[in-house]
Amino acid sequence: MIALAVVVVVCPLAGPVAIAMRARARAAGLASVAGAVVALAAAAALLVTLLHHPPLNAWAGFLYADSLSGFFLLTVAGVTVLAAIGSVAYLSAEEDAGTLGTVQIRLYFVFFGLFASLMLASLETGNLGLLFVLIEASTLASAALVGLEGKARSLEAAWKYVIISSLGVTIALAGTLFLFYAGSALHLTSDQRLTWPYLFAHAAALAPQPLRLAFLLAVVGYGTKVGLAPMHTWLPDAHAEAPSPASAMLSAALLNTGMYAIIRFLSITQARLGSTFPHLVLLTFGFASVLVGVLFMVRRGNFKRLFAYSSVEHMGIIAIALGFGGVLGLYGALLHTLNHAIAKAVLFLGSGDPAQRLRTREATGVRGLLTAVPVAGGALLLGSLAVLGSPPFGLFLSELTIVRAGFARASPALPLILLGLLAVAFIAFARTTMGMVTGPAAQDLPPDPYRGRAAHWARVVPLVVGLVALLALGLWIPAGLNSAIMHSLAAIS
Amino acid sequence: MIEKLAATSPAGVLLDLAGVMILLLAFACLGSKLFNRYVAYYGAQSVVLAFAAGVAAWTFHSAQLWVLAGFTLAVKGIGIPLATRRLLLRRLALGRDAAISTGLSTSLIAGGGLTAFAYLVTKPQLLPHGVVAAAVVPLSTAVILLGALAMVVRRHTVAQLIGWLIVENGVFLGAITLVATFPFIVEAGIFLDIAAGVLIMLVFVSGLTRELAEASATELRGLRG
Repeated sequence: MIALAVVVVVCPLAGPVAIAMRARARAAGLASVAGAVVALAAAAALLVTLLHHPPLNAWAGFLYADSLSGFFLLTVAGVTVLAAIGSVAYLSAEEDAGTLGTVQIRLYFVFFGLFASLMLASLETGNLGLLFVLIEASTLASAALVGLEGKARSLEAAWKYVIISSLGVTIALAGTLFLFYAGSALHLTSDQRLTWPYLFAHAAALAPQPLRLAFLLAVVGYGTKVGLAPMHTWLPDAHAEAPSPASAMLSAALLNTGMYAIIRFLSITQARLGSTFPHLVLLTFGFASVLVGVLFMVRRGNFKRLFAYSSVEHMGIIAIALGFGGVLGLYGALLHTLNHAIAKAVLFLGSGDPAQRLRTREATGVRGLLTAVPVAGGALLLGSLAVLGSPPFGLFLSELTIVRAGFARASPALPLILLGLLAVAFIAFARTTMGMVTGPAAQDLPPDPYRGRAAHWARVVPLVVGLVALLALGLWIPAGLNSAIMHSLAAIS
Repeated sequence: MIEKLAATSPAGVLLDLAGVMILLLAFACLGSKLFNRYVAYYGAQSVVLAFAAGVAAWTFHSAQLWVLAGFTLAVKGIGIPLATRRLLLRRLALGRDAAISTGLSTSLIAGGGLTAFAYLVTKPQLLPHGVVAAAVVPLSTAVILLGALAMVVRRHTVAQLIGWLIVENGVFLGAITLVATFPFIVEAGIFLDIAAGVLIMLVFVSGLTRELAEASATELRGLRG
C-alpha cells in the first residue's frame, strides 16, 4: 500500500522531470498526461485496497490514508488527468498563436506537475502540520500558473491569490496550533499529538475551549482556499486569469483539497463538542457563499468569472451539506464534491476554445458557439446543464440528497431557502451560457486554433469523458463508489 | 516538558519579555510612516523572535530548535529585510511613504482594539496557570491580528507582503514557545514555505512594477465584480 501511495504522489512529477531532462514542451505535455493517468490508476487501486484493509499509517503518521483520503485522491487524480490532456491542446494552441513563449510553456508544465503532486500529497498525510505545509506549497505552485501570462491582469490576479490564500492558510496554521495545544493533556508523543488518527481516537480528552477556537480558525483559514464567502475574493480573479486547464485544476481539485482539510477538523470537533457548534459555523459560511455566488452570477460579463462564482456557490452547497450532517448530509457532500469536480473541469476546459479563438472572455463577445464550434458549444451547453443540477446529470442527484438531508436534519426553512437560491442561480447562469451557445454564428469567425490531430483529440477527449462520467453518475451510482463513500463516512464519524 | 517554561523561571521571563517586544515591534510596524523603518522594525521583530527560539532551544537542549533559531535570524532577521531594501525599496524608490489608507492614529487605535480582542478570545482561563504559554498565546494572537491589520491598511504590495510575514512571526512565536515540542519536520516545512512564498511574491511584485510602473495596490483595480 505504501508503494501505491507513493506512486500517486510521484507520478504527476513526470512533466517537471521531462522538462528538467530538457525535453521539448510537447514531450513534457505527453509525459504529464502519462504521469496523471498512472497516478489515477494507482489512486483507484489504493482506494480499492483501503476498502478491504485498515487505514494506511506509516512514517509516524506523516503518511496516512483512509477511505476518505482515497475518495478525494480519486477525485483529484481524475481531474488532473482531464486537465493534463486539456493542457496539451490549450498550450499547443497558445504556442502556435504566439501568446506564450517556449519558456512560459515549459514553466507551465513544471508548475502543473508540482501543483498536482503537492495536492495529492496533502491528501495522504495524517499530520495536520504537514497538511498545512503541503497546502501552502500547492498554493504557491498554482499561483505561478495564475501569473503565467505575465500581463498586468494576470499578475494582479496572481498577487491577490497568493497574498489572500497565504494569509488564510496561515490562519489555519494558527488553528492547527490550538488543536495541538488542545491535546497537551494527552499522553501522546508530539508527533502523534498533531496526527489525525490519534487526535480522532482521543478526541474525547481534548480541551474544549482551544478546540472550539481551532475549528473556527481552521474553517476561516482553509475556507479561504475553498472559496467560502467572505474569504472568496481571490477566487474569481484567479480562475478568470489563469490558463483554462489551470482554472479547471483550481476549481475542481484545489478547492476540494481545502474542503478535505475542513472535514478532518470537523470530525475531530464533532467527536468532542457535539454537532451543534460546528454545524452552525458551516451552515453560516455555506449560506453566505451560496448567496454571494448567486448574486454575482446575475451579472453578465466574463464567462470564466461566471464559472468561478458558480464554484463559490457549489462549495457553499458542500459546506451546507456538511452543516446538515448525518449520513445523508455527508453522503451528499462527498457525492457533490465528485460531481462538481468533473462538471467544473468540463466547463473550464470547454471555455478554453472560445477564449483562445475569439481572444475574449466576455460572454457578450461569444455567439452561436453550437453551430460554429460544435465541440465547445456542446460541452458548454451540457456542462452548464450539469452544473446547474438538471437531471439526468450527477449534480441533480447529489443536490437532491443534500436537500433531503436538510429536511431530515434541520428546520425546513433552510433547505427551502437553498432551493430558492439554486433556482435563481439556474436562471442567472443559463441566461449567460445559453446566449453564448445559441444564435447565429459570427460571420468572421477566426480559424481553428487547434492545429493537428493530436491537439484536436486532446481537446475533445476530456470533454467527452467528463460528460459521459457525469451522465453515468446521474443515472446510477456504481457499487464501488457507493461503498467508498460509505467507508469514508465511517472513517470520520 | 512544558513545566520547564513556568512563568517564574528565567527562561520563562525571557520568553515573556521577547513576546512583549515582538508585540511592540508589530505596533511599530503598524505606526511607521517611512517605508524603510517599516522594514527595519520587521527585521528587528524577527531578530527578537530568533532570540526567543534560542531561549527555547537552550531550555530544552534541542539541537533542532537551535537550527530553527539560526534560520530565523539568517532568513527573517537579515535576509528578507536586506533583500527587500536592495531589490525593492531602492529600485522602486520607495524610501519615503509607506502609504496607508486610514490615518496613522486610526490604525493604531484599531491595533489596540485588536490586541484587547486577542486577550478576550484567548482568555487566560483557557490555559493552565503559571505556564509561560498563558502569556504568549494572547501575545502571539495579537501579533497575528496586527499583521493582518497591516495587510489591510497598507496600500503597497511590498508592505502587504511584510504584513503577511508579521502574521507568520506571530504564528511562529506561538509555535516555538507555546508548543516547544512541535515536530521539527513540520517547522522546517513551514520555513521552506515562507521562503518560497517570499520568493514568488517578489517575482510578482517586480512583474507588477514592470507592468504598472508602481505596484501600489491602489492601482490593482483591473479585476472587479
